[in-house]
Amino acid sequence: MSLLLCLLIAGCSEREELSESNAVYYWRTDFRLDSTEWAFFQRNHINKVYCRYFDVVINEEGAEPRPNATISFSSTLPDSIELIPTIYITEDCMHQKHQGLAEKIVKRIRQMNETNDIKPVSEIQIDCDYTSKSKKVYYQFLEEVKQAWGQTLSTTIRLHQLSMEAPPVDYGVLMIYNTGDPKKWEERNPILDIRDVQPYLKRLDSYPLPLAAAYPVYQWVRTIRNIRIEHTVGADEILRVKEAVEKKRSNLKHAIITYHLDKDNINRYKPETYEKIYHH
Amino acid sequence: MRRFIIISLLSAMTLPTLACIWGELTNPYLFSMYRRTEFKERVEKICNDNWQAYLGTSEEYFWFNADDVIKAAQHKSDGLMVSYVKNLQKYLKCVDVEQSKQYEWNYPSKEEIAAQQRDLQAIRTYALGNTKTKLRSQHALLYMRCNMMLGRHQENINYWEQTASQLIETVYKDMMQNIYAGALYKTGQEEKAGELFAEMGDYQSLMTQFYRKRSFQAIRQHYLKNPNSKVLPFLLQDFVNNCQEVIDANGGEWFNGKLFVRRITEQEATQMRQFCETVVREGKTETPIMWKSAKAWLEYLYGHQKQATSDILEASKLDGTDRMKDCARVLMLFITANQASDSEAFDNYLADELAWIKEMEKKEEDGYFYRAKTRLSHQALMKHYQNNTDKLIALMDVTNNYHYTEYIDTMRVSQLEKYFAYTNTPAKTNLDKFLKANLKIDEKAMTDLIGTKYLRLCQWDKAIKWLAYVPASFYNEAGYRMYVLLRKVSVEPWITRQWIKDADVDRAETYNWTVSENPKLLFAKEMQMMEGTINVLSGKALCQRCYNLATYYAQANFTGDCWWLMRDGKSVCDTLRVNEVDLRAKTKELLQKASQTTDIALKEKALFALSYAELYKEEQRWFTREWNNETYEYDRKTVSNTQQYSAFAALANFEKQNATHTSQYVSRCDEYIQFRKVFH
Repeated sequence: MSLLLCLLIAGCSEREELSESNAVYYWRTDFRLDSTEWAFFQRNHINKVYCRYFDVVINEEGAEPRPNATISFSSTLPDSIELIPTIYITEDCMHQKHQGLAEKIVKRIRQMNETNDIKPVSEIQIDCDYTSKSKKVYYQFLEEVKQAWGQTLSTTIRLHQLSMEAPPVDYGVLMIYNTGDPKKWEERNPILDIRDVQPYLKRLDSYPLPLAAAYPVYQWVRTIRNIRIEHTVGADEILRVKEAVEKKRSNLKHAIITYHLDKDNINRYKPETYEKIYHH
Repeated sequence: MRRFIIISLLSAMTLPTLACIWGELTNPYLFSMYRRTEFKERVEKICNDNWQAYLGTSEEYFWFNADDVIKAAQHKSDGLMVSYVKNLQKYLKCVDVEQSKQYEWNYPSKEEIAAQQRDLQAIRTYALGNTKTKLRSQHALLYMRCNMMLGRHQENINYWEQTASQLIETVYKDMMQNIYAGALYKTGQEEKAGELFAEMGDYQSLMTQFYRKRSFQAIRQHYLKNPNSKVLPFLLQDFVNNCQEVIDANGGEWFNGKLFVRRITEQEATQMRQFCETVVREGKTETPIMWKSAKAWLEYLYGHQKQATSDILEASKLDGTDRMKDCARVLMLFITANQASDSEAFDNYLADELAWIKEMEKKEEDGYFYRAKTRLSHQALMKHYQNNTDKLIALMDVTNNYHYTEYIDTMRVSQLEKYFAYTNTPAKTNLDKFLKANLKIDEKAMTDLIGTKYLRLCQWDKAIKWLAYVPASFYNEAGYRMYVLLRKVSVEPWITRQWIKDADVDRAETYNWTVSENPKLLFAKEMQMMEGTINVLSGKALCQRCYNLATYYAQANFTGDCWWLMRDGKSVCDTLRVNEVDLRAKTKELLQKASQTTDIALKEKALFALSYAELYKEEQRWFTREWNNETYEYDRKTVSNTQQYSAFAALANFEKQNATHTSQYVSRCDEYIQFRKVFH
């Protein structure tokens, strides 16, 4: 914890905040980095990788959560880069309490690390699009994960979740994407549009958790009414939103993550764009 | 056992798939020379049929169950089958370890993985030792599966080439060949692997292998190495369809703004057209029809229609597979339909071709003819028959045109009446015969639609004439049934919005409420009565009647709660459409009249109703919202020269004069409160 967090003075209030870091989300099913990605790491001084280990979904019978789409490891990271196992849990898993789920997840992460010779990790992250319906169960679940894990625990915070009380974790990652209504894609980019972010800005400064900020660099391809549609956010829009959120809460510039690491996503934007997103 | 299917497929499929990188493209491609046979589904079906036969059951067999087979084998004293299935079961447990990495809480330990490897070795040895028995194909497959799991790809290559390829033709041999192709791919022999994947119809593996090798230059190189490579139909088809994507995305014809899988420049497409010509001229290909048809379709896509016609005519005389000939025939129809003038000769040709496509739809399971028909309908036939409404609508109906419902919903009622009559007259021409034999008209729905169109025009007498034929039961089947049951047209929408609560829906469902009278007919009759007697009224009674009529009009409008009187559905994007009366304007006109009353309570209601936001378009509202890039907020700006502003001003002035009598529905109205802050 002491390495992770440092005390900063934010406005008139004292709040623990995150130290500077440049990070990426790794969201594929095989951990294998190519030369473009290694070069990207070097150029942007990436020191953390939030790596999706597996998803947790409700099984086919609709009763019990089970792992899905587990990652395999074909590359390893150098010691200078911290690996943070990240687990995505579907919201319906949190509609009711599942006994022992937290312990199962922590045990599985540990076993995966051991089997695949992953160096010791000190932090894990849970990603869940919790709602007011699932919040209570989710927060209790996070308490149990914290207990079972015993080290740093973080979770993702979607913009709509800013209006709820903060979850019981060490810090949150503010997901600044998937902001729009996918059905209204002709009017606004569903991945990111500052007009959709704006209503939440006022909640940023008073949100009690330390926060990292995650920005989208991905492309979303889907088929709508038999039409193949590709959504991509322009670099200008990402930077405009970044400026807006940092204006409301300046320490959001400390810990930056992009979602997600991929050669195509790297090549989608100019190196200067990434230089503006990250610390350089 | 459901999981077995996944496992068995994993065991059979040798290349990882590129899930999420390409999806099945459902937009209709006309160029389809490579028939996708879906290898994995084919082999899975045959395997299940084989187990069914062994078990001697008449029930269709879906899931493999080792224990059942072992029991049956023991009953038959078939020791070899018992040992084979036991080893197969053991192999599947090894696959389970791989699966547990994916789907189980118990992620395997290093020790478990080591045990899995040992088991695979043992099964491999057992299988190899039984490749000369009567179950040789099954054991050979088991041996190759173990090699695949152990990464011994070279051994699989050797085994196939020296032994397995000599075995008799069975589904097991097909699966071995697929594993062999995967081993070739994994050991760098991609060319050979591609040929095999193409031959066995393994589209997924082909796409995985050639995902980044689909450019003109890559296809040209591929051809130069082997002019009759089995991969070429797949590659050429992919290229041509990507061109189609680009052209579609450029807009104009159908789906504006469609984006694409791989952008192909016009220069690259031109190179391909020239190359297709070269290939046909060289005479090395066994399927010149494919190359010439590709050229024809590219010519057409890039606007050279005469050249396209000449090329497709020439193509149809060349050699190729049956599928290629069918595809060229479809292209010929499409290109012709876009250029031929309106004539009986074309009608007859179209009738024959549509009948042929209909038959082919039944035969071909890959959906090509359905998709071809879809594109033909939207991009060729709608244009060709734009001046012949009856035939156009009938064609839209029989070809499942996506715009059919919207088209008949928005067209003039007189045209629809004429079309309805056309459908009930005897057919004269070949095309008429085909169309009338294939129409899917629902007479009740058509009658309701014509009646509804008269409602939209406020022609109550004609609406009544048509709607009288529609029974109440028709509305119990309508998607908007619940709204009919729970909403009333007489409720003033500016005072009470009829939001539907879950509890109301539950009650309606629990007590099985049904629509007992035709609600549109009732509405038309009431409107006819209210409007028909308005001239005999005067003074307060006249103003009250105007107010009541305004309420009905506001409810029946597309922004009202009873929108279902005029429309089948509701959306925030709805606007006033062609061939319908502006009910909002009518409402306002009637409210203006009602507001002239000397009755204070009615006047207040009428003035309040006139300020109701749903009666105004965005630009007629009393404020605008503008995005401020500096504050990242919306700024609200009052616009005092709008209709709604004037209406609110009239209400505010009225309330000033009658301050002691302000009704709660006014004083508690949020928007009125906001307005009062800026109105002085």
